[in-house]
Amino acid sequence: MAIPNFTYKGNRVLLKELTKTDFKLRYQGSVLGYLWALLRPLMMFAILYVVFGKLLRFGGDIPHYSVYLLAGTTFWSFFTECTNQGIQAIVQRGELIRKICFPKYIVVVSATLTAVINLLINLVVVVIFALLDGITPSWTWLLMPLILLEFYCLALGISFLLGAINVKYRDITSIWDVLTQALFYAVPIIYPISMIATTSDIAAKIILLNPIAQIIQDIRYCLITPETVTTWNYVGTSNFAIKLIPILITVIILIWGSWYFRKKSKKFAEEI
Amino acid sequence: MENDIAISVKNLHKSFKLPTERAWGLKQAIFNRLKGVKGYKEQKVLNGISFDIHRNEFVGIIGRNGSGKSTLLKTLAKIYFPEKGSIDVNGNLIPFIELGVGFNYELSGRENIYLNGALLGFSNKEMDTMYDEIVDFAELRDFMDQKLKNYSSGMQVRLAFSIAIRAKGDILLLDEVLAVGDAAFQQKCNNYFAEIKGKQTVILVTHSMENVRKYCTRAILIENGKIALDDSPEKVAKAYENLWK
Repeated sequence: MAIPNFTYKGNRVLLKELTKTDFKLRYQGSVLGYLWALLRPLMMFAILYVVFGKLLRFGGDIPHYSVYLLAGTTFWSFFTECTNQGIQAIVQRGELIRKICFPKYIVVVSATLTAVINLLINLVVVVIFALLDGITPSWTWLLMPLILLEFYCLALGISFLLGAINVKYRDITSIWDVLTQALFYAVPIIYPISMIATTSDIAAKIILLNPIAQIIQDIRYCLITPETVTTWNYVGTSNFAIKLIPILITVIILIWGSWYFRKKSKKFAEEI
Repeated sequence: MENDIAISVKNLHKSFKLPTERAWGLKQAIFNRLKGVKGYKEQKVLNGISFDIHRNEFVGIIGRNGSGKSTLLKTLAKIYFPEKGSIDVNGNLIPFIELGVGFNYELSGRENIYLNGALLGFSNKEMDTMYDEIVDFAELRDFMDQKLKNYSSGMQVRLAFSIAIRAKGDILLLDEVLAVGDAAFQQKCNNYFAEIKGKQTVILVTHSMENVRKYCTRAILIENGKIALDDSPEKVAKAYENLWK
């Protein structure tokens, strides 16, 4: 297998067919069908909003806290869905890999693309919520695709890396489960980052060096209000290079993940 | 490579690492590392295999269980990577290690044909041109919009088999799949193979000496990962039958 070659027609066709199948079969046999793609993240949002927004009053003085929270949970759901599907993709398609020769990365990309489609559907809901909450569209909305691309690269890199290890050591699935739980609290999704900053400035800065935190804050900045604290306006005010750490982490994970996956993919058929 | 040669295999080596009894688990892994024990046993499966297959040859590969036939086929299909040696393939190779791989039971027959085609590297447009032939050979036109899970198992293999033989490939790799379905369909399969004998490059792994004698133009007997005999079907089939006499 050479460098992923999307220009080769056969690979594109296979990617399209596999993604189509994945998406078509995801909600097969359920009464509400595709609606679940919308309902699940919305329900998760509702629970968190009641517990943290209304009971614990995390929102404080944050303007548009409900949209703020919804944007956070939507993108977080995408991240967990994308990585979970991506990591398990190779093992789930084991039967295929043992019997037919095709570029293995296609399986991972198609599994993660299903999550991207779900995110795009959910994004429509987020935008509707934002408009209802009195947010006026601004030019910063146009930056969203860039942030989305960064997030996808991060999730894809993790999927390649952990997915390749998962073929031999299935413990990865369980470890990643626990790790995402921890990550959920390590990034400002339910709590505003200003809450951390008031107790420890350093802790808030470290949190913002996590690419997931950087991405989620950037999304809020672009979508909701430029008052949002982001890596760009809060961290490394004296040294610009520090601001680039989250981007650097993303790039390293993607390159490392792809390289490792490519190296290991030759043996997938034997090891599954 | 000469134009007449479809597959050229040179000095192929392949071995598997088989975990020994209790090599699994972290504790054992550390233990083995400390004692310098390898947690696995190296099993040599292909041990220096070389052959050339000419265009339009129908080659039967035979051998006892565990002799390395299927590994050879999977290596030819590029599912396994050899440690040593080279494989040159001249043309489009269609592997059918097992029938119905990649079939999805929740999809319709039509969707499965296109999905299977994509797995073999065919675009939807290319599949459009083969679609009618596949459906006609399988005799399943009325069932194309039904989900595959509502097919009988016989109908499923008929569909898979039809894709296998109607996919426009230059070289066909088959593992023990010749005649499937009911008696009438088996007859149709047999006729088909008799018809393409000498007209298409086929590599068939089989245990049936009857089929070797009937369809093959050449046969290769494999023993312990090496070629024991590479000759006419009649001679090789005899040698195989004499293995345990």
